[in-house]
Amino acid sequence: MRLARGLLLLTGVGFGLWGVWLMRDFTSEQLISMGTWLAGGVILHDAIIAPVTVLLGVVAARLLPGGTRSVAAIAFLVWATLTVAVANVLSGQGGKPDNDTVLHRPYGLSWLILTIAVAIAAVFVARRHPRALQEPKDEESPGPQG
Amino acid sequence: MRLPRVEDIEKRIPRPEDFSARSRGPATTARVGTALGIAFGICFLTGLWSHVQYTSPGWLPIGPNPSWLYRVTQGTHVATGIASVPLLLVKLWSVYPRFFIRPPKARRDQLIDVLERASIGVLVAAAIFQLTSGLLNIVQWYPWEFSFRRTHEAVAWVAIGALLVHIAVKLPVIREGLGAPVGHESPVESEGPSRRAVLRGVTVASGLALVLTVGQTVPFLRRISVFGVRDGDGPQDLPINRTARAAGATRAATDPAFVLQLKAGDRIVSLTRDELAKLPQRTHRLPIACVEGWSRNAVWTGVAIQDLLALVGAPSGSTVTVRSMQTRGAFRTSELPGNFVDDPRTLLALELNGEPLSLDHGYPCRIIAPNRPGVLQTKWVRELEVRT
Repeated sequence: MRLARGLLLLTGVGFGLWGVWLMRDFTSEQLISMGTWLAGGVILHDAIIAPVTVLLGVVAARLLPGGTRSVAAIAFLVWATLTVAVANVLSGQGGKPDNDTVLHRPYGLSWLILTIAVAIAAVFVARRHPRALQEPKDEESPGPQG
Repeated sequence: MRLPRVEDIEKRIPRPEDFSARSRGPATTARVGTALGIAFGICFLTGLWSHVQYTSPGWLPIGPNPSWLYRVTQGTHVATGIASVPLLLVKLWSVYPRFFIRPPKARRDQLIDVLERASIGVLVAAAIFQLTSGLLNIVQWYPWEFSFRRTHEAVAWVAIGALLVHIAVKLPVIREGLGAPVGHESPVESEGPSRRAVLRGVTVASGLALVLTVGQTVPFLRRISVFGVRDGDGPQDLPINRTARAAGATRAATDPAFVLQLKAGDRIVSLTRDELAKLPQRTHRLPIACVEGWSRNAVWTGVAIQDLLALVGAPSGSTVTVRSMQTRGAFRTSELPGNFVDDPRTLLALELNGEPLSLDHGYPCRIIAPNRPGVLQTKWVRELEVRT
């Protein structure tokens, strides 16, 4: 265990240093741009995406009736992470004006349909099996419906 | 009124125990993290594989067989990267409260704390960077000053290095987390989702992200992949990466006086397109597989490169430098290594899917070889030079 951890640690540091070595001939302009994107991603997540998610959770806990909160949370998880995963095609950026074989689908419409589908599925589950996505209350009631 | 002191501000910053969702915790983090680690490992290996296609180091036998190999490895690279996005977001969500753990009091512990946070900071930054830059690259959007290919490679090493360090540091917690049961963790009532529900949710999201995009390389999912960057359609039933106009090749490629130059030492043979069409033609079904993760099979007809080499008396297995008429962009020239030249399926193609190549597909003639990245399948070829 100790040996395995030590080896992992050393290999990891070695990999990281090799990565830095590969940047040795980057111009300062390239390095600044790379650094901006590296830091920007962390800031975007830690200072905006994560707090907003927490805040939405707090608001949802106040507004939604108890039995529906888990369903809402999981529906949000699926919808939000999927939206981030396809944000590139939703952005409207990229591609080339003279090439209509790239980015030529109605992505906004698909996203709208996806959003509605997730919402319908959430309402359906919340009505039929409101506690489906929660932990059972305790060991005595591990309901088969749970 | 007095100004707030450091302690007053500190009181307002949440503490880890303020985060109520019980579905967080090592049992969740270890499971999502393991899936994410495997996904990153796949991306790393397939990514390295893609990079050696460009540099083709001598010690690594990269050949024309199997013809679909690069199509599979690069399709897997991009698909796995997209499927990693929900995993990374949920992984970060599951440990977010730990961001607010207060630094330890003892000096020695502080140093360890700083080192650990720094290594996690590097890991998170590199992981987000890799997924973001990859997602933007596949839609051909480059809002940065660095070279995508080289930076995506360098940061990949940093990301995997930081990941290995992270695994080394967290190994006991990971083992404990994976050993802990997913369900029935507490007798206290909770309105929040269970761990099992979170794990199922992220599995569904990751799976949907995969299925809704992977049709750009898996033909039977084309209709389902509504978020795919491409759907496989295009002129002559094949997508285009760079048009003749974008490559600045239109004028030269449409010049009726076009002749292909074959060079071997001081022997030069010039062939018009009609003369090329009169040489023995071969037809093969080969994929175009782009580094951006899309691929599609097509039927190509043209002259085998080895037949062209015979015209200038070059020995089989020679390396050939391919030069294009394009005036803009990278990859104006490419190298065809001897083992590709030797393969009868490596063509100077004149036809695509039964029609003469359209201008954007490389008219008057282009390279098509099995198992090569799309950018090396040089279009608008003007010269083949045998390296001696």
